[in-house]
Amino acid sequence: MLYSIIHTTSYDYDEAITYCHNIAILKPRDFLGQQLIDYSLEIQPFPTYLEEDIDFFNNTISRFSIEQSHNKLVVTATSLVERNFDLQPNIFTSEICKKTTIKDALNEFKKGTEETLSVYEFTLDSQFIKSISSEIKEYAEISLQPERSIFEATNELMERIFKDFTFDSHFSTIATPLEEVMKAKKGVCQDFAQIGIACLRSVGLPARYVSGYIETLPPPGKEKLVGTDASHAWFSVYIPKFGWVDFDPTNNQIPKNQHITVSYGRDYYDVPPLKGVLYGSGNSKMKVSVDIRPAKNTKQQQHQQQQQQQQ
Amino acid sequence: MPVKNLFEKYFNDFEDYDEVLKSDMTINPSWEKLLNNFSTIGIEELSEKQKQIDWLLAENGVTYNVYNDPKGLNRPWSLNIIPFIIEQQEWKSIEKGLKQRAELLNLILNDIYGKRELIKNKIIPPEIIYSHRGFLRNCDQIKYNTTKNLLIHSADLARGPDGRMWVVNDRTEAPSGLGYSLENRFSARRSAPELFKDIHIEQPFSFFKDFHQLLIDAAPNNKENPTIVILTPGPHNETYFEHAYLSSYLGYPLVKGNDLVIRSNKVYIKTLKGLIQVDVILRRVDGAYTDPLELKGDSYLGVAGLLNAVRKKNVSILNPIGSGVLENPGLIPFMNSICKYFLKEDLILPQIASWWCGQEKERNFVLENLTKFVVKPIDRTNREHIYFCELLNEDELESLKKQILEKPYHFVAQENISFSTAPNFTSKGLEPRKVVCRTFAVAKNETYSIMPGGLVRVAAEREELRVSNQRGGTSKDFWITNSTTKEQPHNQRYHWHNSSANTLAGIENLPSNTAENLFWSGRYLARTLVTARYIRMVLNQMADSDFSKQDSNPESLHILFQSITHLTSIFPGFTGKNKEAAFKDPLKEIAKALFDKNEFGSLANGIQSFSNSYFSLRNLWSKDMWRVFDSITKQWISFKPEKHQNIKSIIQLLDSIITKLIAFMGLIEESILVEQGLLLYFIGLQMEQATMNIDKSRALLVVKNEEQTEYEILESLLDSNESLNIYRYSFKSYLNIENVINLILLDKSYSRSLKYQLNRIRKDISKLPDKNQNIELTTSYLAIKEACDLIENVNSKNISKIDNNKFTRIALDELLAKLSTLIHKTSLSVTNTYFNHSDQQRQLVHQKNV
Repeated sequence: MLYSIIHTTSYDYDEAITYCHNIAILKPRDFLGQQLIDYSLEIQPFPTYLEEDIDFFNNTISRFSIEQSHNKLVVTATSLVERNFDLQPNIFTSEICKKTTIKDALNEFKKGTEETLSVYEFTLDSQFIKSISSEIKEYAEISLQPERSIFEATNELMERIFKDFTFDSHFSTIATPLEEVMKAKKGVCQDFAQIGIACLRSVGLPARYVSGYIETLPPPGKEKLVGTDASHAWFSVYIPKFGWVDFDPTNNQIPKNQHITVSYGRDYYDVPPLKGVLYGSGNSKMKVSVDIRPAKNTKQQQHQQQQQQQQ
Repeated sequence: MPVKNLFEKYFNDFEDYDEVLKSDMTINPSWEKLLNNFSTIGIEELSEKQKQIDWLLAENGVTYNVYNDPKGLNRPWSLNIIPFIIEQQEWKSIEKGLKQRAELLNLILNDIYGKRELIKNKIIPPEIIYSHRGFLRNCDQIKYNTTKNLLIHSADLARGPDGRMWVVNDRTEAPSGLGYSLENRFSARRSAPELFKDIHIEQPFSFFKDFHQLLIDAAPNNKENPTIVILTPGPHNETYFEHAYLSSYLGYPLVKGNDLVIRSNKVYIKTLKGLIQVDVILRRVDGAYTDPLELKGDSYLGVAGLLNAVRKKNVSILNPIGSGVLENPGLIPFMNSICKYFLKEDLILPQIASWWCGQEKERNFVLENLTKFVVKPIDRTNREHIYFCELLNEDELESLKKQILEKPYHFVAQENISFSTAPNFTSKGLEPRKVVCRTFAVAKNETYSIMPGGLVRVAAEREELRVSNQRGGTSKDFWITNSTTKEQPHNQRYHWHNSSANTLAGIENLPSNTAENLFWSGRYLARTLVTARYIRMVLNQMADSDFSKQDSNPESLHILFQSITHLTSIFPGFTGKNKEAAFKDPLKEIAKALFDKNEFGSLANGIQSFSNSYFSLRNLWSKDMWRVFDSITKQWISFKPEKHQNIKSIIQLLDSIITKLIAFMGLIEESILVEQGLLLYFIGLQMEQATMNIDKSRALLVVKNEEQTEYEILESLLDSNESLNIYRYSFKSYLNIENVINLILLDKSYSRSLKYQLNRIRKDISKLPDKNQNIELTTSYLAIKEACDLIENVNSKNISKIDNNKFTRIALDELLAKLSTLIHKTSLSVTNTYFNHSDQQRQLVHQKNV
């Protein structure tokens, strides 16, 4: 599947901002099964400084500053992504993926092999997921039993989060602690992903936060409206000798071709789409719009045509 | 007195190793000369000298802040007269060990933020790095300008049961103590030179030279005259005294995060003229707080974008951001293996036996024998979270066990070692106390330069296990003595020509924050002085007219009471509906204007506001100024208004405070240069004086009174201005309003007249630097010029005129109101142009992933 994604964030300030320094994490990752074909980042007003860099988790980030007075900031990331789930290691047929038990995995981690050391920090506390409560651990242990296969137990955990938690976009903010989400059993995808991660870490498994997009389909017979999508998030668990496996508790599905990965981190704190520090007074209004739709790969076609011409 | 008498009651319960007395009660030869000097001086004289030291430190304003201290912000630093001694020969081997340790920590720092071989090769477990709060992922793979990553290292040493010095802690974030150790040496030498007789003590002169060179060499692109600054969290930090001290001693400006700004990945300091690039930052702010963009988002102690300026090698920070990860007891059990891995040798300095609870075997051992240990978390999230398990009760032990089991990798257990004691001079004679020595190392070429000596801290009580300044306790001068050299000690001065660093001299380079504090110092001081004089005048009038007989209180006194309310803006006061009640007990209302610091406009509030700007500027002030300032605040705090409800004692207090304020203002003018910012102080001072002059005149001169009352009012006004004598000299006449207006409002050459003050402000503002244009075209200049022109053309006869209604002098009131507005406009414009702190720092609103 080929997708064109336009993610626009705008801020309106009621008083001028003197200057600001920002970091955008909006560039989709490239891996087997997901190819980034084209990407551009447009910033208004024109940034004084803009440069790409790689962060600790190998995400591509863009640092930029605007060092002139401004009343509005608009950041637009436009990506063209080819998604082909079939190229990824097959979760459904791999014996290792399906059979490795939680106990096996924990034993493997104890050995401290190069492979397990590289994912070890995803078992530890992070900014938004720390001092995991016994309530979360108890909730996790219903599914995450030592003798069970990681894959199946995690799949069940995902299903339970999907059933037990209610989607409520007004309940939580960035700062809502995990315990409150757990108690109220309400929230948005970010909260559900972090609950999943907390559960997995509570039994010692490495789990990471995946930030990205999901393609939504319009009601049958209607045309899709522009900008109705949103940035999305889910979680991933590490199965030794196989790799990371994604689960989307918000939609109760294993991400395949409709999910596009932008970045990984230990939790949201590591990979917010946009963060910054600005200097000035007054209030701001934020607007976010995301638009994902299947695309024709004109660029690839052009490329092929050019090659043909040259031959 | 024989030496052994000094130790008569020294050991009532001798258990531990003592630095001076051996178990067979013989004396350690390294201390013999010192003890002989002690005997010569005698206990009584020693006691005197100790008092002198205490006095000197207090007089010099050496303080240590304790967070949430009920005693207030600044607790005096304390130094015990008895130093701590290590013989040069032993010191040499300690020095070698310290160099090895600094180098080792440098290699660890390189590795943690680089290849992470130590983790990959299983020399250290990943948790002690990855779960440590000081491990800042954003600092990963940064390359630095300097040859080493760890540039400053401090270690806390204590003497273990085997007689060797052990490493207790490492300090790598922003080690404190250098300034205190210098001040200790100066104070000890000044108060008790006899102690030093015939003893050769190593001096830290060349160490400070190395330190200075390190800062210069750290500058990007080998810049020849780098701009070096010290970044402080501000006056509320526990060691702020030291930041200010080092700033004036080393000659680098002291800045806060909001003095700095990042433009195109370069760091600049905001000055009056504009931005000046900063090359090197000696930081006293914890790493995580230095950059709200990449690190702690809600920090106001750093500057957004700093880390990327480091990445781009446009600035060097000492120690680099991220070095706090080495303050990590979790590393201790692995240090010897790390040493073998990197250096192929063993550790030279012993450490406390430590068990990291992340390992199963170690954890079980710790849990089974918990009472024997001291348990610490691997990072210093909270310094009180050190558990001396032998002191815990059953419940506390259980709760600690639970904590360890929940997050085993977060804890380290250490053997409970009884470290050595050293004699401390107390009111009861000599007492053995636990001591900890803090050493300092700075990178120098391929190795490290070690300060001979350092800072010795002493436990607060005889049996105190913990040694920490936050808990109270004292300190010692730290002597490295050399018995072999015959060279006489000499009073070396630790100063050098600071020619190779840019010291940001000149008014144009004055940091805006400093300028702002100076401006407000001027304003608060003027307000305090004028208010104190004014209220004193009213109190004197009350005393003269025997105010207790309420019915016969003259009309003029009522007017004066009301003018206090107008001058201080503490309403309703003597105005409004309930003014009769206030008139019945005027002292009550006046006490509010004096002592209620919650009332903006009260004298107490003025003194407090001034204190705040005083502390922010303390690196600029001289020691004499500190003494006067300290005496003002002490006298003010110790005065208990509820106990002194008679007029006379309040007048005495005000007399004394006023004298000291005037002394202080005199000192300001001679201690700082105009280019250093005195100009801003003057502008603030004159603006406030002019404003208050206007307020007084409006309260007293606008309304026309009976002849007798008017006479008394005019006299009071002149009196409060200290202008009576000058009036008599100038006019040689009966008081009349026209002359008074001529003197205090319109005189061109009299420094207390409004016209003089306005012209003075205009002259000073014209000397301010300006970025873009001719200063004479700026709003501030135009506003003050308008005020000057206005008053220039005033005729005293016209404005003294009484209006048709026969009660008021409207023309005078209108003039004063206009001038007041213009001064306010000038002040606002100066503030906006030069003190660019109106920009609030905020975080961009986050978008949730939904």
